[in-house]
Amino acid sequence: MKKRGKQLLALLLCGVLFVGCGKSKGSKDNPTSTGSALFQGELERNVTIRVLENDTAIERGYFNELMNAFNEKYKEYGIVAVDANMDQYLDLANDGPYGYGPDILYQANDVLMKYVKGKHILPLPVESLDCYEQIPEVAWKAYQSEVDGKVYTCGVPVNVQATMLYYRKDMLPNDWDTTWDANKNSIPDMLENWSAMYRYSKEVHEADSKKYGYMVSLYDPYFSAGYLFSYGGYIFGQNNTDPKDIGLGAGDAYKGTMVLKQLARIMNEECIDDTIKRSAYTKLGDGTYFATVSTPDVYTTFLKELILTYEKDGLSNDEAKKKAEENLVITSLPKLPVNGDITQESNEFMETKSMGGINGYAISAYTNAPNACLAFVDFSTSYDMMMKRNEYLGIAPARNDAATAAGGLSAILYEKLASGNIVIMPSIQEVAQIWDPMNTFFSDLAKDAFRKEGEQKYITKESYQKGLDTVSKQINDAIFTLTTKE
Amino acid sequence: MMEESKKRKELEENQKEDENKRIKQKELNKQKEPNKLIKPSKLIEPSKQIEPNKQINQNKRRSEDKKSQSYVFASACIMGLGQILYKQYIKGILYFLLFLGFLFYFIFYGIDAIQGIVTLGTQKADTWLGIKGDNSILLLIMGILAFILIVLFLCCYINNIKDVKRTTLRIKQGKKPLTFREEVAQLLDKKFYLSVLFLPILGVSIFNIVPIVFMIFIAFTNYGGNIVPPELVDWVGLQNFKKLVTLSQFAPTFFRILLWNLLWAVVSTAINYFGGLFLALLLNKKCVKGKAFWRAFPVLAYAIPGFITLLAFKFMFSYGGPINQMITGAGYKAIGFLDLDAKWTARIIGFGVNAWISIPTTMLLATGILSNMDETLSEAAKIDGAGPWKRFKKITFPFVLFSTTPVLITQFMGNFNNFGIFYFLRGGLYLEDYFLASDTDLLINWLYNLSIDNNYYNIGAAISLVIFLLTSIFSLLIYVRSHSYREEDTFQ
Repeated sequence: MKKRGKQLLALLLCGVLFVGCGKSKGSKDNPTSTGSALFQGELERNVTIRVLENDTAIERGYFNELMNAFNEKYKEYGIVAVDANMDQYLDLANDGPYGYGPDILYQANDVLMKYVKGKHILPLPVESLDCYEQIPEVAWKAYQSEVDGKVYTCGVPVNVQATMLYYRKDMLPNDWDTTWDANKNSIPDMLENWSAMYRYSKEVHEADSKKYGYMVSLYDPYFSAGYLFSYGGYIFGQNNTDPKDIGLGAGDAYKGTMVLKQLARIMNEECIDDTIKRSAYTKLGDGTYFATVSTPDVYTTFLKELILTYEKDGLSNDEAKKKAEENLVITSLPKLPVNGDITQESNEFMETKSMGGINGYAISAYTNAPNACLAFVDFSTSYDMMMKRNEYLGIAPARNDAATAAGGLSAILYEKLASGNIVIMPSIQEVAQIWDPMNTFFSDLAKDAFRKEGEQKYITKESYQKGLDTVSKQINDAIFTLTTKE
Repeated sequence: MMEESKKRKELEENQKEDENKRIKQKELNKQKEPNKLIKPSKLIEPSKQIEPNKQINQNKRRSEDKKSQSYVFASACIMGLGQILYKQYIKGILYFLLFLGFLFYFIFYGIDAIQGIVTLGTQKADTWLGIKGDNSILLLIMGILAFILIVLFLCCYINNIKDVKRTTLRIKQGKKPLTFREEVAQLLDKKFYLSVLFLPILGVSIFNIVPIVFMIFIAFTNYGGNIVPPELVDWVGLQNFKKLVTLSQFAPTFFRILLWNLLWAVVSTAINYFGGLFLALLLNKKCVKGKAFWRAFPVLAYAIPGFITLLAFKFMFSYGGPINQMITGAGYKAIGFLDLDAKWTARIIGFGVNAWISIPTTMLLATGILSNMDETLSEAAKIDGAGPWKRFKKITFPFVLFSTTPVLITQFMGNFNNFGIFYFLRGGLYLEDYFLASDTDLLINWLYNLSIDNNYYNIGAAISLVIFLLTSIFSLLIYVRSHSYREEDTFQ
């Protein structure tokens, strides 16, 4: 009896544990409605939204200002925006499903839009946002994607990034207005077209072998691809959405490669690798280079180096700063000759296109408070916050009213974006596979300028075209060779 | 002829005699045997009064046997029940809870996990429509974990039965079952190895075996490219391995890189090993003054993190680096040490930089081993007229090699999979004759290009398996043929 009792107790224990630990199978399969339908306009109350912002915005205090203003406005709802305190380059596709990602992300369009295919970010009702009318269509397009036959907008543009020309005004020839202003428009010719820049760079180097006119790392596709785009090349077809159509060699893109090789001839071998990317700040500052290209967000780094140089020359900090601000000029890229030969005089010029990106906000599909997140995005892309962002970070707003009010560089960039001279980086995930083949090609092209006569690869139109076709094929191979058909 | 027949007769007679002798001996043995075979029980057979007691004992024994068998059976049916019936309550309950825990896991998660690893998901997730769906990768990991848990449970289950059997045996021997306290004491004493090894084995199972098995399984799926969650991954069998050797763009690159990889591994290991040995011997010389001071230099190179050293070397050899500054300063043209035309220059720089990073390790190791060497051997050889090279070849080198063979193999494997050298020195180049690789890339770099840069995780995993097979076969072959293995117990 005793034994039986023990056995019964054991079985009972077993049964109790089974019952107590069971889970409701139904919970897994019970779908909750999310997606754009979730943006009902009714704000979630007492929620904390984690915002992943740009590191510079955090460092310079803009993000703090933004969060304080937002939290103050929405305190009656109990909505609190906080710094997500995560790596700027986190992978939402891997982290989001497990609840680790932020609720709102601020990134470049190519980074954000790669999340659309897996539906890791939400399609937004952008028409309801305050900034909608003020942002040009080209900027919205960078955040549009076709999913299941419908076009969705999955991000809100904040600011425009593109390559700009930095130069030292005090290194212009003293008599430039008489010798380097052929059209008498009070703009030095070398800043107006690449042919004059080529001539001037040659002159600078011939006068002092340690100095150079224009110097840039041709290895970097971000700076070099624009020359191909200017002559008809493109990355992906159908507005950078069709990866099957790779058109780096389309149109007269070979002329762009000719220009790049000609530019390499006025530089030294440092243009072949990425050395200049690191040393350009110092070398523009100390006068080794007259001009280079970079993005507007590094203006302060260039400025610091120039101030240091002036201080070394004996000026006080204030004097050096004032002089540096006067002499460091950032402007749009010079024009290209239509015939693609910058070594010869030319009368026909066209705009130089450059590769650019649009940074913006997106909302994670894994957020619990989509409406509060949308309110944050709306608030941070308002006119006032855009102006504040411009003031703190010097960025070029994607909003027309803010860009116009900020003037200067912001207005130039906005105008270039609106006129299509900034080619926005593709927003499809295949863009990740273009960089290494393009790096290699541009490096090879730059190297060719320093190869001996008989060893040069790129001499004729056909050889340039062959080079472009090879790089297009490499990208195609990278994307499609190993792809498993869905 | 007559002589032959005589001999035959003699032989036949001898054989007959031998046979007779054998028969006699057998008969004698038979006479002795009955005494030997008489069992003591049979000797007391006449005393039939003991019979009822014996039967009682036998019955008791039988019932005890039945009881113990039923306890073993009880534990076989429900873990811990046998122990509980033996009044080993704590142990029994622990086994029982483990049993329940596993049953709970298996019914509510395990079956799903096993089903999941087979199907790798049936419902695609869609966050916009609110469909949670299946995550193939998670299902794969949970499936592997399920198998590991099943194996661990089976081990516990077998142990549970063995435990009841041990207790049964103790009782048969007239001993009492061990108390829980005694069992715990054993775990801290006689079976201390089990207590110590339990956590590491569990850790190794989860943190080492799961990722390795995961990687192996990935090689047999289509995970990569466009097929990443929320897309559902499928099993594709040997398709990835087939692609490795049959794809027209792929196969030539694979074999080209494999050849260079083997050359790199052999040459760089040799350079590092002999370089380190040479330095150790040099600094071991009696005539060298301030040995500690000189030894500090290679140690400094060793102490700086490898990737910083590599980036520093990359800068040194770049077009804007100090070496080219000196070359151009002297009026010569800059040299593209690491650019896309610099196949062999870059490879040689790779050997050099790797030597810079790795030689100090071998030097330190060899210095330690050399300090244990019996110098009288070398001195005796010297007296016998052996020159320095002969003494090195016959005495010093075999002595050092004996102790360092396993390290040498580790270095070989490390060099075979040396990702950092060419990733930092010359990464990001895709050359024309290679598929998403350059002429200095090793298999591990190519694997990175494919799996990380281009998201082909499946192909990356297949290459990993090939690398694993190559390095393990090569290393095992060398190791089992080495003196270190064959004369493991010998101390030279």
